[in-house]
Amino acid sequence: MEKTRWFWVWVITSLFFRLVLIYFPENLNLGFRPEVATPLTSLRRLAEGYWLKQSSMSPYAGSMYHGSPMLLSILGPLTVKRIEGQPSHLMCSLLFVVADLVTAMLIRATGQTLQLAYSQSLRSLNLVSLLESSETLSAGDIAALVYLWNPLTIITCVGSSTSPIENLLIVLSLYGACLRIAPLAAFGWVLAMHLSLYPVILIIPVILLLGYGPDAPPRKLFLQKNSSENGNSPSCHGNYPCNEVTSQEKLPLHPFLWRPVMHFMLWASFWLFYVFVLCSISLKQHGGLLEMLKRTHGFILTMEDLSPNIGVLWYFFAEVFDFFRDFFLIVFHINILFMILPLAIRLKHRPCFLAFVYIAISSMLKSYPSVGDSALYLGILGLFINELAEMKFSFFLFCGYIGVSLLSPVMHNLWIWRGTGNANFYFATAIAYACLQIILVVESVGAMLNHDRMLRKNSTVKL
Amino acid sequence: MKPRMMAGSSGDTKNPKIKPRPIVRIGIFLISHSIVVSLLCFAAGIVALILLPLFAKNTYISENALMPGSANSMLSSQDVKEANKLVKDIIGLKLSSEEARIEIPRLIAQHMADAGSEVYYHKFHPQMSQFYPLHFFSGSPNSGNIKENHSCVSHAINTVGIIRAPRGDGKEAIVLVTPYNSEKVELGEALSLALAYSIFSLLTRVTWLAKDVIWLAADARYGEYASVTAWLRDYHIPQFSALEKLDADICFESGYPHEQNENQIRTDVISRAGTMAAGLVFKVVDKHKETDKDTLSIYAEASNGQMPNLDLINIVNYLAVHRQGLRVKVEKLYFLLDSVFLKIVGDVLETIGKVARSLNARWEFGIPVADYIDGAATLASSMYHQALGVPTGSHGAFRDYQVDAITLEISPKVSLNNEVRILEFLLRGGRLIEGTIRSVNNLLEKFHQSFFLYFLTSPSKFVSVGVYMIAFGLLVVPLPIIAASLYCDANVLDSHCIKEQQKSGPASTNEAGIAFQSWRWLHAAKVVLVIHLWGAIVSLLPYLMYQFPEMTPTTSMLSWGLLSIASLLFLHQILGSPYSCVTVNQSPNREWAVLKSMMIAAAGIGLGLMSIINFATAQIGALLIVPMCLMVHPLKHVYRAGRLRTLAVTACNISLGFIGFPPAAFLFLKAYSEGLGSVSAGDFWNWVESLWAWNSATYLYLGLIHLPCWLLFMYVLLHPC
Repeated sequence: MEKTRWFWVWVITSLFFRLVLIYFPENLNLGFRPEVATPLTSLRRLAEGYWLKQSSMSPYAGSMYHGSPMLLSILGPLTVKRIEGQPSHLMCSLLFVVADLVTAMLIRATGQTLQLAYSQSLRSLNLVSLLESSETLSAGDIAALVYLWNPLTIITCVGSSTSPIENLLIVLSLYGACLRIAPLAAFGWVLAMHLSLYPVILIIPVILLLGYGPDAPPRKLFLQKNSSENGNSPSCHGNYPCNEVTSQEKLPLHPFLWRPVMHFMLWASFWLFYVFVLCSISLKQHGGLLEMLKRTHGFILTMEDLSPNIGVLWYFFAEVFDFFRDFFLIVFHINILFMILPLAIRLKHRPCFLAFVYIAISSMLKSYPSVGDSALYLGILGLFINELAEMKFSFFLFCGYIGVSLLSPVMHNLWIWRGTGNANFYFATAIAYACLQIILVVESVGAMLNHDRMLRKNSTVKL
Repeated sequence: MKPRMMAGSSGDTKNPKIKPRPIVRIGIFLISHSIVVSLLCFAAGIVALILLPLFAKNTYISENALMPGSANSMLSSQDVKEANKLVKDIIGLKLSSEEARIEIPRLIAQHMADAGSEVYYHKFHPQMSQFYPLHFFSGSPNSGNIKENHSCVSHAINTVGIIRAPRGDGKEAIVLVTPYNSEKVELGEALSLALAYSIFSLLTRVTWLAKDVIWLAADARYGEYASVTAWLRDYHIPQFSALEKLDADICFESGYPHEQNENQIRTDVISRAGTMAAGLVFKVVDKHKETDKDTLSIYAEASNGQMPNLDLINIVNYLAVHRQGLRVKVEKLYFLLDSVFLKIVGDVLETIGKVARSLNARWEFGIPVADYIDGAATLASSMYHQALGVPTGSHGAFRDYQVDAITLEISPKVSLNNEVRILEFLLRGGRLIEGTIRSVNNLLEKFHQSFFLYFLTSPSKFVSVGVYMIAFGLLVVPLPIIAASLYCDANVLDSHCIKEQQKSGPASTNEAGIAFQSWRWLHAAKVVLVIHLWGAIVSLLPYLMYQFPEMTPTTSMLSWGLLSIASLLFLHQILGSPYSCVTVNQSPNREWAVLKSMMIAAAGIGLGLMSIINFATAQIGALLIVPMCLMVHPLKHVYRAGRLRTLAVTACNISLGFIGFPPAAFLFLKAYSEGLGSVSAGDFWNWVESLWAWNSATYLYLGLIHLPCWLLFMYVLLHPC
């Protein structure tokens, strides 16, 4: 009870902190920072798009707005709503605070589900000794607090960018998949894909979650366990029919369930159809769906806006010759796709963790990254606090993240405002940031695999 | 990176066949010899800093388009005679200050208009000093005007003339600034006005002008910086507030010079020329110190250690030395000229240089003692002014708009009392400025070829960023090494402890001890975070105290201190004391080591950041912080070591703890330089106030990096281990 109260106190404090910061947006000017607001997520651009639409022009005219028309209809009216004496975009900011809160709660619920499944599978492997109740909070609570108190999340929330909404949808889809609620998972996935395209790769972890259930130790362990418990008959060693008999008794070794997956597919196509219908209604006079796809997903894929951001692509495409541009666009985007399959094979027993890895990789290689993406994957990372307890480099990564996030604005200032630096200064921090993310992904995957090895060792010792 | 290496090394012991990769081995080597390596690096850093004057290169003009001195000067003695008339007019006015305030702008405006240029008056109020610690970072200078009631008398009036270039498209401009005190004009100021007038009238007639020329006769009643910055602000950020208009109407009659009908001088609009390519502030100082040549002093430091492009200084230096035969000076710290230490170092360097040359005639790195001392004194002054972050003149206002500007202070060799001397002097100074303008006029784009980050060691020698970064890098390199080695040692100790526990009793096998092991630094991180939060609160407290303007400096200082301590206690009350969390599994040795490594990491990040914002501050700060970080050791822990070592370490730590505390260090320096009697607690407040009045990032450095680091130093020192 004490812990729960403590948790809620911190949640409420974080919300209060955001509200305080929202009242000083003019001083902070975060909406203008390239780290916070990208061409895709900037609320200023959204307000501009809404204005264009109100004056019955295409919201995509003039290459200002590149988001979804649905966001325009939801957030647009809020951007023009002014309360006398209050900062502009107050309503939007309040909405983002709510979105952050909901995201955190969903992360917490996901964490609880994961923990339940984890303890169940450990118990069935007779590894209860690993399961001592941690004296602090549960992983879900920690992840929620990490998400809420992460300075990057707070900056994103206060800095009027639409990233909190995107993050909310991604987490919503993961949550739905964890609880095997196919419509919800499909809804989150479709909308997240519609808003920022990159979550499309999350379909693999979502399907794995729906098929196999939440993260568990490798299936091989259960197979070994089952075969050894099934008596000494060597014919049973590791083949299916033999296993199914025992698994019905006590072990949670589920076969791949096709039903929820099919449900998910159906629901996803339904939601996709629905979204497209809504969008085409909204853009009927302005070029319709084709124009929308060209200006949103096409804008993401062709990397049209080369204004500096914390990613590494802008620098490269500012330099590359025009006739190589298409080739390198393909190369860079395939980079993300290349990693999908190997990771999916290696981590298929841990779909949630796989989702974390995908999000981290795409936020490193996406065309318009912002700190909001890092906020999301750092929050999700908190879910695996028990598994990643042995993670190396944690101290180095912590210092690195702090250093880079302070250095980046300073370098930007030196380049843009003072004029004594140049683009290389800023790009150096972008490279450092990308390296940090690579190390984070590599180390966390390594730690997770080590954890699996440790489980296997312990379970074989116990046998 | 380091935990991995340790893991690699511990893995080594189990299966010795696998050798770690070379880079890992280098890392392990560095960490295991961290003390030697860090001492070496630190010493090398200090030596490199001392040797910097030796590595200074001769300046050269980097931008080919400038072509200084390639054209003959067109300024004739006729122009100078005209200008001399203006001097006589101004000096001969003999007015009360109230009349002079209006009469001198009128006179200047009339001359400007007669020369055939556009003229207008720019009226401004002095700005109150305010507390904007983050101002330097916001890029564009603050446009929020203060709504205060100014009486009409408190206006100051700048007079501005613009020549439209016959060959230009009006997109670029060169600015000449002549500050003068309208309440009491001295001969020097009159001469500088005349100098500007002679050039200005020449430039209205020339055909080669491709950039507009703006002459700002800045009314320096409220300080020359204030007037220049007010004009620049209105030039760049137009204001359309109704209040301004109203104000202008009320004060119209009394505030502005009475206009004559024949020349319409506008008062309500600010005419603009193009973006500024360069700004030249020039002043004539009538020093009564006889020298063999006329002297030109160059001041270049703008706020936060920003410097104008080196090419601008190069042109002026080249023209002054090679065309006009002036002696060029830059500021130096004169008391260093008598320094015994510098003399010894200079002697040694000279000897080494001689020996080297005798071995091989092509090795030329020695410099004469006098040159070394002079260079070191100039370098120290350059570094000091950059570190302070306070501009050395009104040219600093230009840098906020990314305009390169310098102040030229010309002083004649003898006192200017006869007319022939004045004419000669004006001709020489005028030709220098004309040549500079002609050079800048040739410029095709902004100054960008030459250096922005440099220290001057003489007017014709500089140390570039690539060289002085080495000294700083060597000073800072020990920080990550020591942090990593402390962290790894603590981890190894910890795992040993756990292993021993496991050996002693298998029943007490506690896997929670192993779990979270790599996240154990979180507690130390929390402590460091809280302290830095405290640092932020302390640096913001003056904002609160500014609400009570009646306080004297001493009471302000005292209340600042008290409030700081109170906030520290409050933070510990709600967020936990720094020494609390010692769990069963932690070996006692460990906690302070992790705290120290966290403190070092924070200091390293802070210094790295500051070296980009203002290099000189970081360099001087590193000289203080790095020894603090390297030396600190809990006093309780030290007593277990040998006696001599105990004494040495304790003495070092306590003296560092004293020097590291900013107010103590400041008062100590002040007492050292001015005697004990002149020191009071309010001095520090005044000094700090000047820092934020000039938006210096050094203030933030002190509050956000240095002070927390010092407090953590004290925590580690008093750690109950």
